[in-house]
Amino acid sequence: MKNLHLPYRSAILIGLLFAFNQCDKTPENPVEAPYAETSLDQPAGNWKTYVLVNGSEVAVDAPQASNAAAYTAELADLKSKMAAATNEEKDIAQWWGGNGVARWNKIALELAANYNVPPNNNEDGTYPVPDAANPTVYPRFPFANPPVTSRALALLSVAQYDALVTCWHHKFQHNRLAPYKYDASIQPLIPANDLPSYPSEDAVVAAASRELLKFIFPGEVAYLDQKAEEHKNSRLWAGANVQSDLSAGDSLGRKIALRIINDWAKKDKMGAANNQPGFAAQRDDATARGITTQWNSLDLPTRPPMLPAFGNVKTWNFDEATKIALRPATPPQPGSAEFEASLVELRKFSKECTREQFRITAFWADGVGTYTPPGHWNRLAGDYIREKQLNEIRTARVYALLNTALEDAGIACWDTKYYYMLPRPTEVDPSIRTSTGIPNFPAFTSGHSTFSGAAAEVLSYLFPDHASDASAWAQEAAVSRVYGCIHYRFDSEIGLAHGKKVGEYAVSRGRNDGSE
Amino acid sequence: MRNIYLSLLLLLSGTAFAQMPNDGLMMPQGQLCILGQYSNSAWKNYWQGETKRSNSNLGAVSTQSALLMGNYGITSNLNAMIGLPHVWTDASDSYLSGQKGVQDLVVFLKYQALEHAALGGKLKLQATGGLSSPVTNYPADFLPLSIGLHSKTASLRGVFNYTADFGLYLTAQAGHTWRSITKTDRDSYIFDNELILNNEMPVPNVFDYSVRLGFIKTRFQTEFWYDSFTGLTGDDIRYNEAPQPTNKMAAAQVGWFGKGFVTKRLGLIVTVSQVLSGRNVGESLTWTAGATYFLDVNKRAAESK
Repeated sequence: MKNLHLPYRSAILIGLLFAFNQCDKTPENPVEAPYAETSLDQPAGNWKTYVLVNGSEVAVDAPQASNAAAYTAELADLKSKMAAATNEEKDIAQWWGGNGVARWNKIALELAANYNVPPNNNEDGTYPVPDAANPTVYPRFPFANPPVTSRALALLSVAQYDALVTCWHHKFQHNRLAPYKYDASIQPLIPANDLPSYPSEDAVVAAASRELLKFIFPGEVAYLDQKAEEHKNSRLWAGANVQSDLSAGDSLGRKIALRIINDWAKKDKMGAANNQPGFAAQRDDATARGITTQWNSLDLPTRPPMLPAFGNVKTWNFDEATKIALRPATPPQPGSAEFEASLVELRKFSKECTREQFRITAFWADGVGTYTPPGHWNRLAGDYIREKQLNEIRTARVYALLNTALEDAGIACWDTKYYYMLPRPTEVDPSIRTSTGIPNFPAFTSGHSTFSGAAAEVLSYLFPDHASDASAWAQEAAVSRVYGCIHYRFDSEIGLAHGKKVGEYAVSRGRNDGSE
Repeated sequence: MRNIYLSLLLLLSGTAFAQMPNDGLMMPQGQLCILGQYSNSAWKNYWQGETKRSNSNLGAVSTQSALLMGNYGITSNLNAMIGLPHVWTDASDSYLSGQKGVQDLVVFLKYQALEHAALGGKLKLQATGGLSSPVTNYPADFLPLSIGLHSKTASLRGVFNYTADFGLYLTAQAGHTWRSITKTDRDSYIFDNELILNNEMPVPNVFDYSVRLGFIKTRFQTEFWYDSFTGLTGDDIRYNEAPQPTNKMAAAQVGWFGKGFVTKRLGLIVTVSQVLSGRNVGESLTWTAGATYFLDVNKRAAESK
């Protein structure tokens, strides 16, 4: 009989290992601490707005004076809320202090990624359409594909920006400062500053974002309400605002978001973007121009084209005539020498893709289940904003310029795609296999390239010392689609140039919006 | 004739699966067994979370591998094993490129703690420790077509075996595998509905167990087995999306194994298995065919002097 001790010891060891087998398997995001305001930007109340006429169009009630009894009572209420704040609430106060505009942008990116799922087909081979009246039933409403996401981000950013311009206008009209300026016993949890605090910019952003995102994601009302309440309360826990700062801010933010929704979003022709019955006429129009070999869906079963009329949605920074004038010329047609030449390198990439080419394709893919290419550029912008420690209104300006340019790029690109109906490489040559998914819309031009060209143009203007980085990223994003074998090189090169021109219009606006 | 049969399915069809069907035998001291094995695993249906479905854009997803393995008796109670597979993947109806490459090097040390005659046969207790590491820089976040999860692993398992003198045997084993994070080429991903802004994906640790009932004689062996593994943490494949290395994968499968000795040294092995139920894995049907060759290293060393 062999020694029995070892198996028993082994069993105990194994048991112990089972017991504490879990090092933490939850991924974590980087901590982004609050930073001090680098500038007060008093003139921001006069910056050019997008939908409102100007920053004084929407009124705000005058606040109680800082020596009024009502205000003194609010200070007492604030102090008791601060004292009662739990450690978790104090952490939340720090989190929201890390730039409220950027936090709401991230909430939007997360929602976009969670809703970026094409519907699965029905048994009979047709596809269900997300229903705004039943947003939580699969397929959930909306399907946050790149055009939808670009529009959602643009609407959100414009609502935040117009609301903050208005907020800044009223702040410096009333000049009621933060509570810690009137009561030295209040020690704020986030960096102090001299910015007038009525109305609260955080409450303005929370309310504007909440209302706008509820419009885009009607299935997320409870979540968005909870987030906005948390954002506003965080200002009390932080000692940065009194309740009347927050109430005035909430009312203002909400009003302005509803203006963006009613005056722009409900009138921008997005409602007709999924015009499937009109697709046949688009095909006929292309045929009449001599385009005989046209795109077809490669999905199994065949899926209706994605948003064939998104190209008709209203642009922010230029008019319809300009959009048409910017549209690229007819691409090389299947069968032509130039077209055949473009297939040669795709066949090569399909057979031998290097690890680095695969990595680049995957890095920029931003496909199903992700925040899409517009989201990727918002993420990059967020890094630059944090690096430069921009205040809320300058942050809102960055996102507004970037996202209106991105939506314009999406509109211009979708207009081009369905004007030329160019088939994907794998349709023309089924031996071309890909390292990324083939999206369900025509090839020319590449959406990634157009979005990236526009974004790089805007970010180069806003962050000049990152101009060469942004440009290099855009080039890489554009070529990633060629490495992935889902676009001809001319799709990406011409898309990148088209996007750059679209971006120039946003830059021109930025130069003239009063901020320089 | 003593031998050890080792079948190692490191990653099949998006499942991370370290299985050692083990007949409870040890290699005699100084003896080396070399195994070459081809494996083919395919599925059409898969579990999206706990919902079984198919995806017409994929067709049949297949994983093939060619495995080379060595097993050496350091002593008659301590064996060392090393193995390396080359893996190919494909999806029959998809335009996505299948992947191929050399996958993960795996090393095991097996210790027989106890051997005791009883009940008209022998009772044995063994413990096996293993380590694995990817050998090439293959992409992990391309499921279901990636050839592996590109995670380093460490495993520990206990094996109980009873073999009756007339040949019937029963083996039960249970094991735990720790898996390191894997890196994705992207710099963001969704985990459990939360947006994570980095490229490190945690891969769940795994608990597995199996039960084998078989018959062994000098020149042949056959067994039926049931095998189950479960990821201990992780999220589910989201509606209509691709799997991710962070997913909680689980599967229960049944299989059959047969082995016969063609010559004194050369054995042929065949296995067939089917996944019966699972979570975030394919409903795979797997078959393998292999050959084992037996060498007396000590005798050869003595002969060459």
